[in-house]
Amino acid sequence: MIHFDNVTKQYPTQKRPALDGVSIDVDKSEFVFLVGPSGSGKSTFLRLVLKEEKPDKGRVHVAGKDLARLSNWKVPHLRRRIGCVFQDFRLLPNKNVFENVAFALEVIGKPRRFIKKVVPEVVELVGLEGKAGRMPGELSGGEQQRVAIARAFVNRPQILLADEPTGNIDPATSIGIMKVLDRINRTGTTVVMATHDAAIVDSMRKRVIELEEGLVVRDQMSGVYGQAY
Amino acid sequence: MRAQFVLSETWIGLRRNLTMTIAVITTVAISLALFGAGLLVNQQVSEMRNYWDQRITLTIYMCNDISPTTACQENGAATEEDRAALEQQLDSLSEVESFRYLTAAEAWQDFQERIGSSNEALAEAAQEGDIPDNYRVQLTNPDNYDTVRAAVDGADGVDSVSNDQRVLEQFFGLLDGLKWAALVVAGVQLAAAALLIGNTIRLSAYSRRRETGIMRLVGASNFYIQLPFLLEGAIAGFIGGVIASGFIVATRFTLLTQIEEWFQFDVALGTGSLLYVIGVSMILGVLLCTVTSFLTLRRYLKV
Repeated sequence: MIHFDNVTKQYPTQKRPALDGVSIDVDKSEFVFLVGPSGSGKSTFLRLVLKEEKPDKGRVHVAGKDLARLSNWKVPHLRRRIGCVFQDFRLLPNKNVFENVAFALEVIGKPRRFIKKVVPEVVELVGLEGKAGRMPGELSGGEQQRVAIARAFVNRPQILLADEPTGNIDPATSIGIMKVLDRINRTGTTVVMATHDAAIVDSMRKRVIELEEGLVVRDQMSGVYGQAY
Repeated sequence: MRAQFVLSETWIGLRRNLTMTIAVITTVAISLALFGAGLLVNQQVSEMRNYWDQRITLTIYMCNDISPTTACQENGAATEEDRAALEQQLDSLSEVESFRYLTAAEAWQDFQERIGSSNEALAEAAQEGDIPDNYRVQLTNPDNYDTVRAAVDGADGVDSVSNDQRVLEQFFGLLDGLKWAALVVAGVQLAAAALLIGNTIRLSAYSRRRETGIMRLVGASNFYIQLPFLLEGAIAGFIGGVIASGFIVATRFTLLTQIEEWFQFDVALGTGSLLYVIGVSMILGVLLCTVTSFLTLRRYLKV
């Protein structure tokens, strides 16, 4: 589903490459944790998957497409197959829960009938039934992140990228978020989650890829956060 | 494609930057009004030129008994032979398209018809015989005036050679100056309008960066993301154009009507020309705003 072949990415202002000859394979419906200290290249990895950045060397394949050969005007279609969740939720404060989720479908031109049908389903899937009319300001951090996940998942993407989704949320609430991500993963969606949250990684027992200074230092099935620490 | 969504986003953008939108509309309206006025004057001048080029005749006045010039005083009124010689010479000049002889009576009649309606006092004061018999010479090209003039001036029986074009050219020169002044100011204003639009769209893109960021992330097409901003520019340009059209119509019915009255000839610009000028101005306004918005978005809205 995601295939990195000897990928190097160097930002012009930095001496050390953000990713240095990284090769990673993520299969369909896998759940992968991406761990490592800040600046280890986790975010760069996610940005390369979205084709927000181009690699200096190596090849990136996502959902069967060679991103180097994907013309710019087709990038939106790639992104429709990828859902994204961030640490800071990125909700629209002037729209309620339903509207925030519906927004993702409206802007790719889905018909209103379809939106009315699928949005409530997804809102329920993330555990927010009965809160569709609330504004983001009226929700807790955990609930806001559920809205963000619903928005990322409402178009049924093949891949869900999560960049520290529990970074702003207390540990108890984080468990709920992880359950939602796990549920999404069980529908066959590949989930890649970058995180610093050792407790969560340890409890989930999923594949762990550890990056350090742009290199893959560990790739372990059913791994834990950091045996080296 | 969800038209309602795009339109509501456009409306939000216009409302959120209301003061900037008003500034854009005002600048566009003023610049287009000046531009349109320049075009109108241009059309008016070219129509007048056309009118006059067809009618401009070199008039060769013949000596009569009361001619004040020394040549006429010495030789007396033009004779039959003088006229025959002159006609022969006119026939031989290739610059001459045709010519017509008007007797003193015909010349007076013609004068009455041309001046009578607008200046009765002058028409009444003139008497038959005040205007000498003359030749109306139609030139193949009005620019050849000097050649023909040199050929016939000083011939026996010729009093003077006159050409209305001289006077007209001065006036056309004035109108041309007016036109260029309007177009130059319009150009400067249009440049200012373009900068203002660029700024407005930049502000608009900035205030909606959260929305556009999410749109980009969930895979909205570039066109869909940019369309509300482009429409915002286009609508501001269009409203500016509508206001400018009002100014252009006002110019047509005040300034140009005035000019036509001075000239006492029926060379009024038709509705067709007016619509043409308005059409060109509106298209220019909308295009300018849309293209500037597009160029601004390329810089400030990463897609």
